[in-house]
Amino acid sequence: MIDAFRDAWLDASPAAQDALRLAALLAPAALTGALVLRGQAPWALVRALLLRFRWTNLLFALLMALSVGLGAALIAQERAIREGSARAAAPFDILVAAPGDEIGMMLAAVYLQPASAPLLGGEVLDRLQRDERLTLRAPLAFGDSHDGAPVIGTTADFLPRLAGPLAEGRVWETAHEAVVGARSPLRLGDAVAPAHGAGPAADAHAHEGAALTVVGRLAPTGGPWDRAVIAPVEFVWEVHGLANGHAPGDDRLGPPFDPAFFPGAPAFVISSETLAGLYGARARHSDAASMAFFPGATLARLHLLLGDLREAMSLMALAAQALSAAGVLGGLVALTRLFARRFALLRALGAPRRFVLAVVWAYAATLMGAGAALGLAVGAVGAEALATLVSARTDLALSAGIGWAEAHLAAAVFSLTTLLALAPALAAYRRAPVADLRGG
Amino acid sequence: MTRAFAAPVGRAVAAGPPVPDLRLENVEVRAPDGRAILSVPWLEAPAGAALGIRGPSGAGKSTLLLVAAGLAPVARGRVMWGEADLAAMSERERDGFRRARLGLIFQDFLLFEELTAQENAAVAAAWAPAAERAAIRARAGALLDRFGAPRDREVAAMSGGERQRVAAARALAGDPAAVLADEPTAALDRDNADRLAGDLLALAREAGRTVIAVSHDPALIAAMDRVVQVVDGEVRG
Repeated sequence: MIDAFRDAWLDASPAAQDALRLAALLAPAALTGALVLRGQAPWALVRALLLRFRWTNLLFALLMALSVGLGAALIAQERAIREGSARAAAPFDILVAAPGDEIGMMLAAVYLQPASAPLLGGEVLDRLQRDERLTLRAPLAFGDSHDGAPVIGTTADFLPRLAGPLAEGRVWETAHEAVVGARSPLRLGDAVAPAHGAGPAADAHAHEGAALTVVGRLAPTGGPWDRAVIAPVEFVWEVHGLANGHAPGDDRLGPPFDPAFFPGAPAFVISSETLAGLYGARARHSDAASMAFFPGATLARLHLLLGDLREAMSLMALAAQALSAAGVLGGLVALTRLFARRFALLRALGAPRRFVLAVVWAYAATLMGAGAALGLAVGAVGAEALATLVSARTDLALSAGIGWAEAHLAAAVFSLTTLLALAPALAAYRRAPVADLRGG
Repeated sequence: MTRAFAAPVGRAVAAGPPVPDLRLENVEVRAPDGRAILSVPWLEAPAGAALGIRGPSGAGKSTLLLVAAGLAPVARGRVMWGEADLAAMSERERDGFRRARLGLIFQDFLLFEELTAQENAAVAAAWAPAAERAAIRARAGALLDRFGAPRDREVAAMSGGERQRVAAARALAGDPAAVLADEPTAALDRDNADRLAGDLLALAREAGRTVIAVSHDPALIAAMDRVVQVVDGEVRG
């Protein structure tokens, strides 16, 4: 029997599994509601309680919404960053760099974060060029910028892998032409004068006289390359006063490069036809002179590392929600005391104690349900706002919509609070009416 | 001045269960500190009678009413409605008895301000079995019409007189055998007090219901069949 359930679960689609999880999380609330409300019709009185202290009730619902919304926004944002960063790393099958810091090199090559990296020399180039099982071996040369956007040197065969067909224009045909990322403000025909370095320390005059003309625009990649200026690697080498990778008199652009005239590159992007081929390539090009690694795997390790932080944040968010819910429920206990005479009256009119329990529980559950539902809306708005901020800082295209995880969070909080709502309901249930009727 | 009502509201108001006599025997009520606050050696209200209870403030009148309703616990004695002894019942049984046989009216109305007159008067439908809800609502509407209270107006927008008429309709909507009223006219002006007292007693007498009212209002007391006094926790007269 258990095996049959397990098999059915494993056969179910992810959406079906998520829907079932949602149903399971809502089940305690539904079950409690079914038990508490069975045979009762408390909704007119619940409406009266809601309207009686409408602003206080609204405040309680908003507190709940804020609490759920913050948690939902954090979860949605974390997922969006994880997905966005993975999407940005997808075109980079394997990076080859000087042995050392994989994460630093991944950040530099994939996310174009300024970094100082040792260069790979002609020996590594030669080995890569001789490796016939590779389908791509594109050098990356970075360190220059234009108006704050990175200027990256590479070879034209990397562009289709990076972003597919060009969105506009054509690929460079000379060393003084460039393509720009999808979100670059530069237009076709614009001139680009690269500065040496990036950020406030960039030297605008270091490459004086060197200029690029924009001739093409990439399709969006969803990563920082969307703002970059991408030029022939020969141009980058030349403006730094280095050999351009080819023997004098050889005016070709792109591979193969002559190891004897290879000035060095901080990284290569390499690829192979098959997954097995990729693993083989990683093994072949990891030695004392170079390290080859999957940026996706490095990113996954980083996510795993940050996963602990995420769990800590999730726990803190949950704790904040529990505290908020406890505060709201404490307020509800106080509020229901204000209705004590009316509840006593209901008892005097013959209402069973269970009816009073149903009224108080339904009142609290309505507030909590409204707060949780509103919290998802707050979470969606908050996640979008956070995504805009993070996108502006990282150039990652983030899509932070509300998903199953946030719905699960709201459902869990709702169910938990409906169980906690039994506390004020039971307090009203146990209260003897006679003192309240006399209390005036 | 009291008004007599001739217009019937049909079965919705007139019909009801057989009305039992009320009989309190050797009843004693004590405060939580053990002090005796009410002693009733014997009190009887025949079915269909209008019994007035008067006495100084704090004498125990309201406690007597709560005892009769099964809301105040008694230290000893019997609270008999016909053959049913409220003092010997469980709380759940007392709830059920009140639900089926008694209607209560309070000095300060105790209405739900945000609900309409109809919703307040028919509030008992909320916990009644589903099959009885429509009848309670119909009776409540008919009673409001008879009391001249607008059905669909929110109670918050009503005058004191209108509110107490809604409270009276609520007390009668469950078709009780007896109505227990605690200072029902105390918060009303003379005209409204007379109108309510007249309507309530007329309706009760039409259906042969017992009315027990605690009151300082000489006009209401004068309209009752019999009056007892409560002084220093003792029932006299």
